[in-house]
Amino acid sequence: MIDILNGIGSKVLKEIGDAIDLTSLEQMRISVLGKRSVLSEVLKGLSSAPSSERPVIGSAANAWKKQIEEALDQRKEFLERALLIEKLQNDRIDVTAPARLHHRGSYHLITQTTRRIIQILSRLGFDVTLGPEVETEYLNFEAVNIPADHPSRDMQDTFFLGPGVVLRTHTSGVQMRSMMAQAWPMRILCPGAVYRCDHDATHSPMFHQLEGLWVDRHVKMSDLKGILEFFAKELFGAETQIRLRPSYFPFVEPGAEVDVSCFQCRVKISDACRVCKGSGWLEILGAGMVHPRLFQVAASTSELFKNSQGLTGFAFGVGIERIAMLLHQVPDLRLLFQGDVRLLSQF
Amino acid sequence: MRISWNWLSELVDLSPFKGPIELAEFLTHRGLEVETIDRLGQGLEQVITAQILEKKPHPQADRLSICLVSVGSGDPLQIVCGAQNMKAGDKVALAQIGAKLPNGLEISQSKIRGIFSYGMLCSEEELKLKEHSEGILLLPPLTALGQSLATFLGRDDTILTLKITANRGDCLSHLGIAREIGSGLQKVPQLPSVESLVFQKCPISIDLSAGDLAPQFFGCWIENIKVGPSPDWMVNCLEVLGVRSVNNVVDATNWVLLELGHPMHAYDASKIRGSKIQVRLSRPQELLPLLDGITVELTGSEIVVADQERAIALAGVMGGGNSEVQMETQTIFLECAEFDPIAVRRSASRFQRKTDAAHRFERGVNPSGLAFALARLAHLVIQLAGGRIVGAAQAQLPSRSGIVSDRREVKFETYYLNDFLGFPRDQEPLTLEQVKSILEALDCRVEKQDNAWSVCPPSYRLDLNIREDFAEEIARWIGYDRIPSTIPILSSPPGFLGSALPRLTVMDRAKEALVRAGLNETVHLAFTSRSWLSQFQYSSFVQLLNPLSEEYEMLVPSLIPGLVRNALENWHHHFGSELPSIRLFELRPVFSSSSPTIEARSQAETGVIETWKLALGLSGSRFAQALRSERGEVDFYDLKAVLEFLWVELGTKGVRLIPLLNSKSGGHPLFHPGQSVEVWMGSSLAGHFGLFHPAKAKELKMRAPFWIAELDWQVLTQLSRPSAGVPRFQAWPEFPQMERDFALVVKKGVSTEKLCQLAVQVGKPLARTAQVFDIYQGSQVAEGMTSVAVRVIFYHETRSLQESEAESVSARILEAWKKEFGAELRS
Repeated sequence: MIDILNGIGSKVLKEIGDAIDLTSLEQMRISVLGKRSVLSEVLKGLSSAPSSERPVIGSAANAWKKQIEEALDQRKEFLERALLIEKLQNDRIDVTAPARLHHRGSYHLITQTTRRIIQILSRLGFDVTLGPEVETEYLNFEAVNIPADHPSRDMQDTFFLGPGVVLRTHTSGVQMRSMMAQAWPMRILCPGAVYRCDHDATHSPMFHQLEGLWVDRHVKMSDLKGILEFFAKELFGAETQIRLRPSYFPFVEPGAEVDVSCFQCRVKISDACRVCKGSGWLEILGAGMVHPRLFQVAASTSELFKNSQGLTGFAFGVGIERIAMLLHQVPDLRLLFQGDVRLLSQF
Repeated sequence: MRISWNWLSELVDLSPFKGPIELAEFLTHRGLEVETIDRLGQGLEQVITAQILEKKPHPQADRLSICLVSVGSGDPLQIVCGAQNMKAGDKVALAQIGAKLPNGLEISQSKIRGIFSYGMLCSEEELKLKEHSEGILLLPPLTALGQSLATFLGRDDTILTLKITANRGDCLSHLGIAREIGSGLQKVPQLPSVESLVFQKCPISIDLSAGDLAPQFFGCWIENIKVGPSPDWMVNCLEVLGVRSVNNVVDATNWVLLELGHPMHAYDASKIRGSKIQVRLSRPQELLPLLDGITVELTGSEIVVADQERAIALAGVMGGGNSEVQMETQTIFLECAEFDPIAVRRSASRFQRKTDAAHRFERGVNPSGLAFALARLAHLVIQLAGGRIVGAAQAQLPSRSGIVSDRREVKFETYYLNDFLGFPRDQEPLTLEQVKSILEALDCRVEKQDNAWSVCPPSYRLDLNIREDFAEEIARWIGYDRIPSTIPILSSPPGFLGSALPRLTVMDRAKEALVRAGLNETVHLAFTSRSWLSQFQYSSFVQLLNPLSEEYEMLVPSLIPGLVRNALENWHHHFGSELPSIRLFELRPVFSSSSPTIEARSQAETGVIETWKLALGLSGSRFAQALRSERGEVDFYDLKAVLEFLWVELGTKGVRLIPLLNSKSGGHPLFHPGQSVEVWMGSSLAGHFGLFHPAKAKELKMRAPFWIAELDWQVLTQLSRPSAGVPRFQAWPEFPQMERDFALVVKKGVSTEKLCQLAVQVGKPLARTAQVFDIYQGSQVAEGMTSVAVRVIFYHETRSLQESEAESVSARILEAWKKEFGAELRS
């Protein structure tokens, strides 16, 4: 009987191993372990076996039963996994199809550039202040040492709105407003739109400037140079050199034009350089020591500027668009003001 | 200012410079920026003067001829030429083999239709002497052979174009530049030697009656001159410096102007009536025919030079046509004067005659240089036109007699220059001896008195008046590159100015929020046109008095017209089948005026009101990239989402949205009345947002719905952090919350926001929030009704809720909804 049992057992185990799907495996379970199964039939004959053999046959039968159950479970698990794998393979998507992209926002290049510059200079202790774009002729010109009927007026073609009212041609009026309202020491940055009657690829009737002013006792021209050197290296890279050339702006004395070494042809100046056009230098700002006349004007208006013995200062002004165009190689200034999404979304 | 290298080298030794480029660098580093360097002879190196000895037809070509050309020495050369205008004996310009002409043509030995040609006879066009020319250049019969054409034409020169700043009137001449170079090299410029004039025997006297406006006037009377063309060297030189040749007398005045910087004038003496020249103010309505043929009506405030009957020159600007030197003129009266810069500037701009003379007078002429300049001119005229000096006259106000510069002494502390520029005291490159020698090189008179310098600038340096001016001179002389670099000491704590802090921080945060919401910042010009604004029914504008064009005539009263134009342009230049997404924002001031006329109210007030505005414009797909079925078009709720996100980011409190249809302030003509809202903040109307009005959109041919917003930045800022303080931590519920969903049917038009507000109000304190999560209109509900699904959330801070508690509050809420809005549960 044991032999029959063993024969059935090994046959069933083989069949389980060969089962190809879950349905046939389930049928096998019923036919092997069910009430009318082969195994049950064998065990029914147990009563006719000699009593001494019964425990041996019984335990052999149970062992087989356990072994078959395990085999069934294993096979089931195997078939189920195979099925899942097949199912997942059928569920595949095209991972190369386009992503669902959100819109990417952007700051205007003028804002980006202004923020960069403010970030650099505020580390040196500068504060930011704003002022009106429509300015009095007095604050835009007279107060900053550009008298009426003086040739220096020709340096800036001015839009007029009415007698004594202009669109500011620089943000210097903001500096005067600050000097009239606040005590020194003073370290301010004045960013904002300025206006001049000029329109072509390199001039816009509205553009942006950032002017800096540092007023304190015993400020030196070497301080101006040190600050500008720091600024240029932070903005254009650590290898950047600056070069000051004498120039004339009525609100400063001495005055300087400031060039930085071309960040494009860093190693070797190239005649073909699109940024510096082969000169190796880029003219980026005007600067100088505050003209004493400005302190006199401030003192005549504000108590806070009286007692200005030994007071000196420096000022500088940088064109935001110029820097933005240099850094990002925008070919035409007018592009910055056209609101074309093809430009705006690039930066 | 155009400067000739050759002329300059006659005034000062240029040998320390290798060439014009080195000179240009030297000048640029001293603040006289050289903008261009123009080598006139470039391309003419191998072109020489020659003569055609023989001309015969080319055997193979009717239009060509074969010329035998002599260059003065050696064998004549055979040249094939296609021009027709020459004959044997003519003097011509020959480009020799190896020449590379200004137009790029390289000359080599060639065979033209079987005949060898050893060079080329050139036209003016080929030599770039003229834009267009016919035939080859024929030179005067007396031209010597074999000399460089550039030399012959006076073109073996280099012209430097300098940008002279407004303070350096003294540099508007060759002498001025020579002085500048001389001071740097410590060399004295060489003036042409001129015999001084004797101020007597002048047939007319000079009367100064314009006071300080005309402090000096020198004149010289010359007879028996012969007016005619100037010699070629002078014509050529004037021409390359940008001055058109007129005749030998006028050219001489221009020559001295370019040489010494003094504007000069020549009158036909026979046309001067009476025996006195009067320098006076004009009379109102006095007429003066100018040299250019146009008669101007004077106002009474210009300085004029007059004879005893009439004005004969607009002083400092232009001579009169009534006293012009002409071909038949034989006697002349020469003028060299000093006029007030402001008066000349006003005259020149009033009559729009920005002449070379006016340009120099505006910047100031050397008050001590007049007598020399006049003598120089008188002798030059005689050299060119013959004649004899009859006499000279002068008139000066007392303020101009003697050495003018003595009155401009400036004193400053000995070490001021070192301390101000940042050079160490008593050290190279700025020891006391060095200071003295630099100032002396600059032609200043320097004295050390105790611990101070006393410095008198030279008379021609009108720009040196205060100690800072001398600091610049010293720095310029040493070189700005030698100034040390230092970092100044902070003498007060750094930190944002109190007043600017909220404005700037909020501005930065707002931009950041909008960028994170996927919007592109845009910046428009603040100008717009009247016609464009009228499309938007804006009526009061701030107008420019001198606009660039009609397109830029007004300052913007609102940011919306700019955004709309922007959208139109973006759509216009888009070629694809689907319109681009437009997601823009702009933050800047707009302009208005409280009164119709704009005028300064005080030194600091303009009367123009600048209001900062924030504007948004959305159109197109919700995603930057997605499959068509998933893309979706932006609508009201997308715009609302951007604004709500902004308010959360800024910590804005107290925002109320009123549907435009319920507006008590009269709506807004640019917004769709049913799909837009008014934004109220506190008690202020802060702006609007919604759909750009469809009728207007159709009129403007807008190609897609445009969702726009415009908010008053001032109001928004006041109700936002950091004005409203720092946000505090808020605890979330510890005990589980309960949710109840309600499907309601209400009449269309009921505000879902109000449904939710009512639920929270009557469900207090357990009902905490109510949120609409679905809205449906259509076949499943009756006509005119809307189905709204609301989820109410209940919780208690200190314990778990019972089912029954939520049930009873829900019943209360349902009852209130029914009573207030007629809301029924959907069956």
